[in-house]
Amino acid sequence: MTERHRAVPFSLLAGVLLALTVAVALFSLAIGRFPVPVERVARILLSALFSTEASWPPQETSVVLLIRLPRVLGSLLAGGGLALAGAALQGVFRNPLVGPQIIGVSSGAGFGGAVAILFFDGLFAVIPLAFVFGLLAMVAVWSLGSGEREESLLSLVLGGVVISAFFTALTSLGQYVADPYNKLPAIVMWLMGSFASSSWERLLFAAPVICCAGTLLHLIRFRINVLSLGQEEAESLGMNVRRNRWLVLACTTLITAATVALAGIVGWVGLVVPHMARMLVGSDHRKLLPVSALLGASYLILMDDIARGLTAAEIPIGILTALAGAPLFAFLLKKRQRKGGAWM
Amino acid sequence: MYRMLGNRLRVVGTGLCALFLVCFLMSPGDGAQTVVTDQAGREVVIEGPVKRIVTIPIPAASMVLAIDGSSERLVGMNPLSKTAIEGEILSEFFPEALRIRSDIVQGEGFQPNVESLMSLAPDIVFQWGNFGDNLYIPLLDAGMKVALFKYGTQEYLEGWIETFGAILGKQEKAATILDWHRKTREQLTRRSEAIPDSEKPRTLYFLRFLANYQVAGKNTHNDVSIVLSGGKNVAAEEIDGFAAVNEEQILLWDPEVILLNGFERDLTPEHVYANERLRGVSAVKNRRVYKLPLGGYRWDPPNQETPLMWMWMSSVLHPGRDRFDLPGEMEKAYTLLYGKTLSRAQYEHILGMERNRGSAHYEALFGRAQ
Repeated sequence: MTERHRAVPFSLLAGVLLALTVAVALFSLAIGRFPVPVERVARILLSALFSTEASWPPQETSVVLLIRLPRVLGSLLAGGGLALAGAALQGVFRNPLVGPQIIGVSSGAGFGGAVAILFFDGLFAVIPLAFVFGLLAMVAVWSLGSGEREESLLSLVLGGVVISAFFTALTSLGQYVADPYNKLPAIVMWLMGSFASSSWERLLFAAPVICCAGTLLHLIRFRINVLSLGQEEAESLGMNVRRNRWLVLACTTLITAATVALAGIVGWVGLVVPHMARMLVGSDHRKLLPVSALLGASYLILMDDIARGLTAAEIPIGILTALAGAPLFAFLLKKRQRKGGAWM
Repeated sequence: MYRMLGNRLRVVGTGLCALFLVCFLMSPGDGAQTVVTDQAGREVVIEGPVKRIVTIPIPAASMVLAIDGSSERLVGMNPLSKTAIEGEILSEFFPEALRIRSDIVQGEGFQPNVESLMSLAPDIVFQWGNFGDNLYIPLLDAGMKVALFKYGTQEYLEGWIETFGAILGKQEKAATILDWHRKTREQLTRRSEAIPDSEKPRTLYFLRFLANYQVAGKNTHNDVSIVLSGGKNVAAEEIDGFAAVNEEQILLWDPEVILLNGFERDLTPEHVYANERLRGVSAVKNRRVYKLPLGGYRWDPPNQETPLMWMWMSSVLHPGRDRFDLPGEMEKAYTLLYGKTLSRAQYEHILGMERNRGSAHYEALFGRAQ
């Protein structure tokens, strides 16, 4: 942590970011293909709270309350959740290159989602299957990377590549055998990521999972600090490293699985956003986790605004986050190299 | 080229078209050589009578069954051709068609397994010509005869029918079918030209609805059909080809009539009516959402029954105007195409009377009173 980080009191920074997130969410409710005047949006929101008489076309109410609101909340939760999960994973793995996508959780969860679409109708199977396969992928990566006592960075990333490739191949197999008219479109949409089918129903499935697992991660943020010191140091401080690691991993996998159920695979958020947060508050997870979550939420809401509002056709959000995330990550990488500094 | 020819031919008449598009030669003496020019402009020469045909483009299988009036010569097809036969009218007309091999292609693609294809010993394989040459080069390398089709316009479709007529030795039947296609098209063109613009309903066709909302913009067969049937395709201005859109965009377009694809098996108008986010759309408020029929093939893409689809569509777009006698037209068409008569139950199954029952005018347009 540098002096610069101490210059601004954390509570002030957190307050500003929270206000920013709320502002971005409200602003996004006024954005979209269907024109609804801003003051009308405000009145529609107020009328939903106080059930006043509506003096505007019913389409505008359904645009704001049934289409935009669940979608904005969905991208808020998914963005916040993924960034939080990414920050926690980077702490536990002591590795800045880690994100739900890099260590195979996204591919595993995506495959679970594809299996759920192939064999079941409706949403109920998506979260459990995405969770099981996401966890399976993470365990596999973990065991590949933990030949030595301290997990080495390289073998972890390579393990992630291997497991990701394997689950991606399984998903492709699923696409290959899927009924092209009745199952395949859903799987394809899943893999590209999209909030287009957000609804209150979908949100009801995913939101409790993301909120609970996210809150739990937030509550144990101090332990993530200890874990990020390394196994020996953490043990010497009297921590049960194994149990706490698994707790963090289970929470991050749950969050990833729930976002997969919400919007399919949305990459790069969990990898890039924690780095932006680290530039703001340093690597103390007590600050890093909430700041990552708030930044991630705003980031994904804005990305989804582009996805749904820019053209008549929907742009899959996975494409946008990758297009924005990869160069951003490359920039951060270069910047760190120039500084010759460590990541954490 | 085909469009240009098509325009010219409509002026000159329909009699000479076969000479331009397909040339069918009986060489003197042996009487057993077939020569056709396919839609990639390649000359395909087949020695001896054509007994074994494989079709890879999806609507092609049912066209061969229709023009040949039998399933004897079709030995292989796309599995998605078969799903349009299973449980549908063609499985009642040609029950043996269900036994035709369909495992040469898998999934959504059109890349056949060359050796599986060879094991069928086809005299000719019909394949797409405009989705990359890797779809047919391996077949040519393996020594198979391949005729290439192109997709998109009514002129291409007419070319398919002529080619099948030539290959199957059913030129007369093919010419009669083509004549029916052209006459219906001319009739509908005149009819829709007479409808004032303000009375053409805003129409939206969904290629997919359940997983995401894919709609047909300009340069699609569906766009052509909507215009021909006297509607306005709301997606034509902003969408080229097919694209996924969101609910806000649908609300913005506010279609008066929604047409649902025949591909998604379980999709019915009820899915649209039940979507509370689309409640404000005119087509939903007035219950004018219709699922496209599935007859000898799904009626959405170009196929042998396309004129019936136009008649159906012009009826649902303009229920108040003079309309075609669809039951009568279907009876004539099915006699011409398949040599079969439709029972009342078959007719109702094809038109999806049950699925569309909750939609406005449907019973009055096509129900028993008709």
